Amino acid sequence: MNIKDLIQSIRHRFQREQELPDEVVKGFLRVLDKVRKEETTCNEVFAQLDEYVEKEVHGKDAAHLMPLLREHLDICSHCCDEYEALLDVLEETAKE
Amino acid sequence: MTNRSNESWLSDLRADGVVREEALTDLREIVAHGLPYALSRWLSPDSALFAPLVDEVTQETLLRVLDQLDTFEGRSMFTTWVHKIAVRIALTELRRKRWQDSSLDEIVDNEELPVPARIIADRQPGPAETVEQADMMARVRRILEQELTPKQREALMLLSIQDVPLEEAAKRMKTNRNALYKLLHDARLRLKRRLTNEGLTAQEVLSAFEKK
Repeated sequence: MNIKDLIQSIRHRFQREQELPDEVVKGFLRVLDKVRKEETTCNEVFAQLDEYVEKEVHGKDAAHLMPLLREHLDICSHCCDEYEALLDVLEETAKE
Repeated sequence: MTNRSNESWLSDLRADGVVREEALTDLREIVAHGLPYALSRWLSPDSALFAPLVDEVTQETLLRVLDQLDTFEGRSMFTTWVHKIAVRIALTELRRKRWQDSSLDEIVDNEELPVPARIIADRQPGPAETVEQADMMARVRRILEQELTPKQREALMLLSIQDVPLEEAAKRMKTNRNALYKLLHDARLRLKRRLTNEGLTAQEVLSAFEKK
């Protein structure tokens, strides 16, 4: 076992013994209200993200037109980061 | 730079020789020009990481665009679609680099594995925490422990406590980002259902913590 694997195995053991901290529990609760049975996966969101962001940039109510995508963005911070970054690109390049 | 319609981009990039080269040069410029805006929330242009990251991401974006050209459905401008791919590559790479760097720092600085500060801070109830809040937290934690599968728990610990990026956590759990998201989605649904069965809503539980 190399050092990296050893560290990972220690980490995994540490993980199992660690109880869920309050902030993790609260963070989990915060998104529950927005969770619906129908889910949109990260891949589905990515497939439509360009269309969604263009709608926003053109002043359309993208959240209303594509509600499932909006709900995913509210829950998934990684996809939300990508949404914000793409929005920044389109908005800033449009100003030039 | 030539102004191209979506159709022109596709045909030029599928062409041979000079036409394709010119299209690639233009696309490279468009991607490299957009990336600083995409990264602006996370990385300063003064950072030593900035220029190499932009170069690396631009190159990788062009390769991926050429590889996935047939999947472009024309639901946006072609350049928006390309920026989207660049954003995904850039943020994935940035998260990976940052997480790797901090992990390396931890290993160098600490002989023993560090316990993240916020976990230590959370271990004891704060002075403002009431008995009601402590009881509620214990109840929710018990429900979570009962409802989460070991895999869901592992994912939550990796993403929330160790701040491992989604892609890295997926790799470590031998799955992919999509499946990992679904795993957490299922966990949220289970918890929501269980809270409902116990006559609680997430909002009620949270508001218990906001009471002074």
